Amino acid sequence: MKSQQKFVGSHAQRGAALLIAIFALLLVSVVAIALIVSSGTDSALASNYRTSTSAYYAAIAGIEEARGRLLPSNPNYLSLPASPMPLTQVVYIINPTGGETVAPNDTANPATYPDKEYKQEFGVDVSGRTVSIYSSVSPVGGLPPASYKWVRISAVTEQSLGDPQVPGSYVDVNGDNIMDTVTPLFYDPANAPTPGLITTFAPPATASQALEITSYAVLPNGSQSMAQYVVRPLVVFPGLTSQTFPAALTLAGNNVFYDGPGTTGFYIRGQDPGVVPDPGRSDQCPGGTSAMPAIGYTNNNTGTDTSFNTIKTNATPVANYQGPPINPGSPPTSPPTAATAPTSISYVSDQMNQNWLTPKGLDAVVQNITNGADVVLTGPTTPGSFPSGMSASSPMTIVVNGDLDMNGWHNTGYGLLLVTGTLHYDPDATWEGLVLVIGQGNFVSTRGGSGGIDGAVFIAKTRDASGNLLASLGASSFSQTGPGSNVGRGINYNSCLARAAEGPITYKVIAFKEILLAN
Amino acid sequence: MPHARGFTILELMIAMAIFMVICGAMFGLLQLSQQKYSSETQLSGAFQETRLAIDQIVRDFSVSGYPAVSMFSKIPTDSSQYALVPVAWDPNYAVTQCLVGTAGGGTCQTPGDFDLIVETDLGSGVSWVRYQLIGTTLYRAVVPKTAGGDPVSATSLASVKVPFLTNVMNNVMNTSSAGLLTQINATYPSMFPGGAPQPIFKYTCNAAAGPQPCPLAGSDAVPGNIRDVDINLIVMTRSPDAQTQILKLVQLSGRGHRVNPSQ
Repeated sequence: MKSQQKFVGSHAQRGAALLIAIFALLLVSVVAIALIVSSGTDSALASNYRTSTSAYYAAIAGIEEARGRLLPSNPNYLSLPASPMPLTQVVYIINPTGGETVAPNDTANPATYPDKEYKQEFGVDVSGRTVSIYSSVSPVGGLPPASYKWVRISAVTEQSLGDPQVPGSYVDVNGDNIMDTVTPLFYDPANAPTPGLITTFAPPATASQALEITSYAVLPNGSQSMAQYVVRPLVVFPGLTSQTFPAALTLAGNNVFYDGPGTTGFYIRGQDPGVVPDPGRSDQCPGGTSAMPAIGYTNNNTGTDTSFNTIKTNATPVANYQGPPINPGSPPTSPPTAATAPTSISYVSDQMNQNWLTPKGLDAVVQNITNGADVVLTGPTTPGSFPSGMSASSPMTIVVNGDLDMNGWHNTGYGLLLVTGTLHYDPDATWEGLVLVIGQGNFVSTRGGSGGIDGAVFIAKTRDASGNLLASLGASSFSQTGPGSNVGRGINYNSCLARAAEGPITYKVIAFKEILLAN
Repeated sequence: MPHARGFTILELMIAMAIFMVICGAMFGLLQLSQQKYSSETQLSGAFQETRLAIDQIVRDFSVSGYPAVSMFSKIPTDSSQYALVPVAWDPNYAVTQCLVGTAGGGTCQTPGDFDLIVETDLGSGVSWVRYQLIGTTLYRAVVPKTAGGDPVSATSLASVKVPFLTNVMNNVMNTSSAGLLTQINATYPSMFPGGAPQPIFKYTCNAAAGPQPCPLAGSDAVPGNIRDVDINLIVMTRSPDAQTQILKLVQLSGRGHRVNPSQ
């Protein structure tokens, strides 16, 4: 009984301790919770920021996939359904993850990431357009795909360039103060006063269509972003009114130098093989219609410039330098005026884009080609470093920053070869496409062989020996003086091969913006 | 039933004393960790604000120059419909481009070490977006571009300038807080080499010899040739470390690349 009483007393004391303990625990808990809550806010802030940036870069990733796949040289080349793309055609690349459905053209279904933006831009619901859908290609196996849902490729109009969130806004490309909702936009490098977009259904030969690439990214947590490029294909050509080269061999600059071997087997021909089928030529070009000079030069002031006289003296025998009129022409006795019809040796500045006649303009050309090249090599180098896989159906763009020595290369190259140093050509090699020697502007060949260049050659000296940009074009030089009669076939103009090498070698961005999404 | 034995006053006092000592130690520790916590929170806050600021500048710069002149076949007579060049300049805006320099070099007032105005369409027409460090506050101002208007005066109105990032110390030696430099140098000896201001913006220009820092690009160092901007922000926390009273700073850098063509 005693012990029971004692137990009861001790029990009562424990009750007080319990109350105190609970109170203390409560106090500590409040502090702890306060700490946790405040650090939780911080984490939320950081994660909002991170997802907004992630969504933005996911959208850019989508754009870049589309931009890359527009190139014919891309293994996953995405051939557009029509060229030019009419406004009624829309292409999507979709990138669903985890079994979800992505159907941007199903604008009635909010669960499939509908493209509501299209109507904001074009005023028409995308479900009313002809839509082609392709699947995204993951760049590297095993990597998780980027979180963009779809990328849209479409034509561009004045209306579509406007700010989607501002009703009635547009970009007045042609300055007529009227919002054009139907005419596609083209990029014309020959537009005056500055190269730019033009509105037309009948583009000039120098223009190519501008395309809009719009990408929409949604992260698993719902954070979204949309970005848009307007791109144009970069096609490399100096022609003023067409996508051509002005001569089989163009020597741009002042006091240019030309020296040929003076033997019977070496020709420079300006005619397209399609015009006069020539059984003596290995290259063919069905449908080719160009008749170009054999050698073009760009300074016809004989009072101060030696270009014409040097070429005329050294371009022998004259029958081997063929340009319009179609068959063996003989060089003119005096420099032709601008109005004179082109002959085998012609002044070609009038047929050229002026950007190709200044060191600064040509430097931009070199930059553009370098940025879009399949491979950029640092000279001095040899064709041993060329990529494999070049073929007539898969021409490549190769840039050599420095000298290139082709000695002993018994192969055929296809595409565009740009050399900024001296090109030591060996006629054992054949090149089908374009050879540009811009920089030091020096083409030298002292070797023998039976190969040749089919396409076009362009040479310009834009830099001095130490690499500084010149104020005006210097004396570019072509010299092919091999031993005996075996010095190669020479240069044959071929518009088919030239066009294949001209590109598009890349799609250049002419506009980039983020699109504000109406949430 | 014997009387239950209680504690003596001595026992109680000893117990209380032990309890007080333990409590005191605990509260001391708690206060220490609270101070540490608030300092670290401020530091990570400064870090985060700086990151946000850099990200915003990078994104504004990457869309700069929209729409470019090359988007038109006929350049609009109303110059507020296009971006003349991606980076607006002063003096002689729209007349003659100045030369970009650093540390007082060049002829540009803006773009400068602490001042950058980009011209672009952020979704509601072409605007001037200006980042400018005044004292230790980096301001952001967005105003619609007006034909014939001046980007500097348009973005200088107090009503459009929004404090974007505070306690930016890049140019602290030329502000009323110059006295802080000695303390900063004591803690971060390599942050301000030679006690010189650290530019927030450093520019890379497209030049004849390829991209190079604008101050080396000679006559090519004009705002229209700016292709990249390196951003370097030094930001101090709102208050010094609560324990040691040492100034806490974060230094972050980023790089913006223009995607639109310059013309």
